[in-house]
Amino acid sequence: MKREVTNCLLCNAPLNEMITWKTLLTNAYPKMICQDCENKFELYPQTGDEEVIALYQYNEVMKDYLHLYKFMHDVVLAKVFRDHIHKSLTKKEAIIVPIPMHPVKLKERTFAHVDELLIAANINFEHFLDKITMETQGEKTREERITTPQIFKLKVSTDQVKDQDILLIDDIYTTGTTISHAKNLLLETGANSVTAFTLIRV
Amino acid sequence: MHKKLSKQNDYRNYKGIMIEPQIRDFFIGRIWTRNNTPFPKEKIEKYINSNHLSIRSAITVIQSPNLFKQKFFKCNRCHNENQEEFIQFECARCNELCVYCRHCINMGRMSRCTDLIVWSGPVPNFKHHHELAWEGKFTKAQEQASNELIASINLKRNHLIHAVCGAGKTEILFPAVHFALNKGLRVCVATPRTDVVLELFPRFQKVFPNTILHAYYGGSPKQPGFAQLVIATTHQLFRFEKAFDVVIVDEADAFPYTSDQALQKAVYKVRKNEAPIAFVTATPSLKILSQVKQENWGHSFIPRRYHGYPLPVPRFVSLWSYDKKINKGKLPPKLISWMKTRLEQKAPFLIFFPTIQLMELATPLFQEIDPKIISVHAEDPNRKEKVVKLRNEEIPGLLTTTILERGITIKNVQVAVVGAESKIFTSSALIQISGRVGRNVQFPDGEIVFFHHGITMEMDVAREEILRLNKEGFEKVTV
Repeated sequence: MKREVTNCLLCNAPLNEMITWKTLLTNAYPKMICQDCENKFELYPQTGDEEVIALYQYNEVMKDYLHLYKFMHDVVLAKVFRDHIHKSLTKKEAIIVPIPMHPVKLKERTFAHVDELLIAANINFEHFLDKITMETQGEKTREERITTPQIFKLKVSTDQVKDQDILLIDDIYTTGTTISHAKNLLLETGANSVTAFTLIRV
Repeated sequence: MHKKLSKQNDYRNYKGIMIEPQIRDFFIGRIWTRNNTPFPKEKIEKYINSNHLSIRSAITVIQSPNLFKQKFFKCNRCHNENQEEFIQFECARCNELCVYCRHCINMGRMSRCTDLIVWSGPVPNFKHHHELAWEGKFTKAQEQASNELIASINLKRNHLIHAVCGAGKTEILFPAVHFALNKGLRVCVATPRTDVVLELFPRFQKVFPNTILHAYYGGSPKQPGFAQLVIATTHQLFRFEKAFDVVIVDEADAFPYTSDQALQKAVYKVRKNEAPIAFVTATPSLKILSQVKQENWGHSFIPRRYHGYPLPVPRFVSLWSYDKKINKGKLPPKLISWMKTRLEQKAPFLIFFPTIQLMELATPLFQEIDPKIISVHAEDPNRKEKVVKLRNEEIPGLLTTTILERGITIKNVQVAVVGAESKIFTSSALIQISGRVGRNVQFPDGEIVFFHHGITMEMDVAREEILRLNKEGFEKVTV
């Protein structure tokens, strides 16, 4: 059990994690945030039969978290939810495919935020898609989002996708445009099934 | 003939740019991100190519010479060296293992592949003629302190002004700042608190009517021209380097300055070589006091308030299990009767709470007694307006966290601290809170009560210090 941080990554309060039998005997990840901060995140209600699985609801605290992570570029915050993400994805049999970033955007941000979430949670993934537009969905209205032409193209050969079960990963699900573009493209290419998993759902 | 030729050669080598005063004024003394300036990028690159701006990596990596080849990082903006606050990651911009500093990330992330720029071009002479529009009168002690400060600035040695709350510390600075400005020096008045910057700025602006001065704090607006006098939060000092000939740190005992090593280093990194620093405080730390002795600083001590009356001494009143009662939706009777007395006397009051949560639980309970009572805390966007309301007697009282512990002056204010035994109320915080009372000549005395669930050392220390200062202040007069 190696302690990675001594203070909460979000509020900087000292972390005094209790050493219990559970922490000694299971290999759960050490905590990165304090209990108070953790309690402020709201779980997304799981109904079980949805096509998109989401872990958390979008609230004020989550908004601040995303701002720090994606826009202030605090990469280490990828580790905040790693335990939860690890538990949710480690048993999945489908091929895990993160939603990619446009290369120019990637240079600007210096890291791919969805990939980092998966790396922090120790989940293997493959890139099947390339993003071909620089526009971000966040800046558009609902109307504009729905009418946008395809924003992805296939990065790998058709054979690799054919008859596969694919699990798409994204950070946030708002109107579902991004996910449905990716999903349509993969299904058209011949994938057997395409489901999606996001950290947050609005 | 030979001379003439070489001169021509010089012209040929000259990379030819006209320095725009705007750009020069902005960058003198600053350390700034290359890719995020208020000027067009091509212009900045031109200045870099002509060596008017020099580049430096934002993070320095030092490899230890021993066997393990450990890496140590240092942030060149905030001078943070706490290794826990450096995060290594695979960077997509520089395509290798990069590192960034979390300490100053709120001001934009500094990573190893971020470039910082500092001005290395010519620096013009600063103005020597400044007007001092101040007609107040000093007490003897103030005048002495002011002269001592000027002497220290002249000798280029550090100085400590230790003055009780309400001694008129800001006024003491005016002649010294004026003296330094007239010598053509660049002066910075820094303080840990944004509130204090907002209070000091208009006062200095009034006193120095023909001096350009800027105020810097988180979210401050753009200000044109070259400021020879800068009022800034200590955090904003991260963005300066070797900029000032005189640095004055006001309220040097305030949070977070005392607990943040990087902020303390920032004060030293913004001064030019061996420029003097003056610390102004009501509650100097032991560290500063020992530095004063060892490093032979100048030292002024004012144990008396400007109006000559002693400091109000806090009273301890037990308020057992106040948090349980408030959690149950009841106010302790002692607190109610204290407040009702204030309402009858029509004296404005401040009640300090240890946490926002407790205060928010208590606010509706107070409002049952008087609906005009409101509360304020650090994240409150209307905090300035709320304090003004109390000052203008539009509301009878204000509930607050420690954010109002210093810098505010309200006529005839009465103060209570609920839960004075809490960790957040250190002796210096309690001395500052007590210092809010009796600052006006017409009302030199007032109530200061510490409601507690057990007396702590910090409370005793605060009370003893106030008694000691009163004793010293009045012995001095009789001598």
